[in-house]
Amino acid sequence: MSVAEEPIGLPDYLPAHLGARREPGPDHEIRLLVAPLAFLRTSRMLRDAGARFVTLLLADTPEPSLMGVFALRGDLVVLRAPIENGSISFGSLGAWWPAARWAERELVERHGARAIGIPPERALTAPDADVLDPRVRGLDVFSLPYGPVRSGIFEAIQFVIETGGEDILRLETRPFFKHRGMEARVVGLRPEQAVHVVERIAGIASVAYACAFSQAVESALGIEVPQRAECWRAMHSELERIASHLDVIAKEAETTALSVGQARFQILKEQTMRLRARITGSRFGRGVVIPGGVRFDGRIETAELLAELDALERDCQRDRRLFLGTASMVDRLFGGGRLERALVEDYSAVGPLARGSGVSTDARHERPYGDYRRLGLRVVTARDGDAMARVNVRFGELTESLRILRQSIDRLATIDGELTVEITGARNGAALGWCEAPQGELVIWVEVRDEVIHRMHVASPSLRNWALFDHAFPKDVLTDFAFIEHSFGLTPAGADR
Amino acid sequence: MLEWIARGLSKRRVTTRYPAHTEPGPPGYRGSVSVRDAGGAAPELARVCPTGAISVDGGDIRLDRARCILCGDCVRAAPERFAFSERYETAARSRAGLIAGGTNEDEEAEPARRALGEQVRALKRSIHVRHIDCGSDGAEEWEIQALWNPFYDIQRLGFFLTAAPRHADVLLVTGGVTGPMRAPLERTWDVMPEPKALVAVGTEACSGGLAAAGGLVAGGVDQVLGVDVYVPGSPPAPIAIMHGLLLAVGLLREEPSA
Ligand code: SF4
Repeated sequence: MSVAEEPIGLPDYLPAHLGARREPGPDHEIRLLVAPLAFLRTSRMLRDAGARFVTLLLADTPEPSLMGVFALRGDLVVLRAPIENGSISFGSLGAWWPAARWAERELVERHGARAIGIPPERALTAPDADVLDPRVRGLDVFSLPYGPVRSGIFEAIQFVIETGGEDILRLETRPFFKHRGMEARVVGLRPEQAVHVVERIAGIASVAYACAFSQAVESALGIEVPQRAECWRAMHSELERIASHLDVIAKEAETTALSVGQARFQILKEQTMRLRARITGSRFGRGVVIPGGVRFDGRIETAELLAELDALERDCQRDRRLFLGTASMVDRLFGGGRLERALVEDYSAVGPLARGSGVSTDARHERPYGDYRRLGLRVVTARDGDAMARVNVRFGELTESLRILRQSIDRLATIDGELTVEITGARNGAALGWCEAPQGELVIWVEVRDEVIHRMHVASPSLRNWALFDHAFPKDVLTDFAFIEHSFGLTPAGADR
Repeated sequence: MLEWIARGLSKRRVTTRYPAHTEPGPPGYRGSVSVRDAGGAAPELARVCPTGAISVDGGDIRLDRARCILCGDCVRAAPERFAFSERYETAARSRAGLIAGGTNEDEEAEPARRALGEQVRALKRSIHVRHIDCGSDGAEEWEIQALWNPFYDIQRLGFFLTAAPRHADVLLVTGGVTGPMRAPLERTWDVMPEPKALVAVGTEACSGGLAAAGGLVAGGVDQVLGVDVYVPGSPPAPIAIMHGLLLAVGLLREEPSA
């Protein structure tokens, strides 16, 4: 934690008349205290300064507060307004900032907050599969529910599609069928117990969740993790990204009935999962990353790991060429589910989805953490904003992940020493932790009190990106639905928590 | 297209021969936890487990795999008593079949692996599988999807996916059943014709897992509907789920109970 010199100045990219007092905080966390009545105005000024919305939450450290988190110029700006006499009331951000709508609804519906001027809507957090609630009027218009029981093997989420037969007139995404209360579940647990819960918030991104959570705890308690642990964390994270991206590509091949292509990418994904099982004992890399470091070195010889990565790279390159040379596949993806850059920015979307629309945002690059402070990263972007662009971004990132893995293997040979540090000394603290999950930027707020978790809040990439899904069908028809959904590559478990 | 086919053919056979042959997990794989020494344990030992899977009764340890998330806390705290095993086959037809330790040694309690393969053949028809997610962490879905990839190719054993519950023989349920998924789950099961089998996939579906204590899930599918086969694991690997499906097939051959 940086030492506080009173008073701390604002970074020069913030307007001087912000009307906020800066409080000390860890690196990349610009903590600002504002009066409750100024919360809305200051948020607006941050947006005007180019900030990306991350989340809204109720914090309890150092005192009960409404907290807004925004990403701006390589920092997270944390705006805090104390809650006076227990009543949480604030001017609606969602009324003018689409990115804030769902986070705001969660605060209102789950925590009894009052958002003044919030647009009236049906409850978001208590979905009912049977209430369709159509909005489009017209003679031949009908509503079609997709989910929450999906055809095929997919997680539960519901889309209500209003259609005139073929074209999609309106779409409404309904998350929260899977809300399990995972944030509340960690309260009272020691950090190394809580990480078991955190790994299971979004099972396909267990490593990312464990990393973001552990980094939050470490930052809150002022702990430095050994470099060897940071190196392994990066390697497990990149293997997780490879598996996830291959999964999306295999599913795209499946929806376009390119069965040989589907089989090829499924094979590559399965090989990645098996490799992870050999390294960690878990196909999902669970049980390795803990607050303070990693539990063990990967259980694989360097030469063997390198050989696996070489084979993976060779096959990826070849299958990518075939994939992109298959007209039936590519024709389908071109132009499908197009998201304009302005829309992506309005919704503060993240991950491969944002990068596919030309927004160069990646937590590994914006606010480098762990070993990414030492590894170079090429942020892969594409301009077209369609399903093809999102697939292309993933293809590019596969190569980049493999490069990072090789670089990490080299680094690992040069660093000896411990894998964990004891979490002792400080017993209290609060901080944000973040990482780039395969689905996009993940940010977790953690408060530790007397050595146990006092509060946790998760800003998942899946929830933030899904708000955009309603707008992904400007010219598309029903038959395009599946491949556009896959091109988003999100997980309901992460969104619903 | 031709090039794709050539690419497909040029690859060596990758498909598992399970269940005709065994397939263990890779060395160090955390497939399940075994109790090595169940006697004379102190009651406090139960406290190491975050999900309450371990209980100590009169000095005897019982480990309920339906609750186990394979976190390894017990193995680290008492390696002389608990150990990970690389075994994939953890499914059982009852909750009692998932108890390890004490006097219940579970290894041979279920039909042998080869016999399971025979059962499918004896059924002389394909088996249609439907899936419903009632609040998983999302990993179970990946592992079930994997059953239809070239490595597992469960179609070779006669299992097909169906989107229509009216044509389904087996329902795979993931997740501990959240409030909004309860009614959709009951409805899906109701329209499936007899004979039918319900398979709970994953520790969350078996008992609610870590989410159970939060009170927002029912605490396992069997709190809502009768479960025929439990496949614990967090998540269970594809072979573990395949084993569970094969156990379920045996039930389809038996007459539906009146
Ligand atoms: S491995 Fe299973 S039994 Fe052991 S502590 Fe973890 S959840 Fe409990």
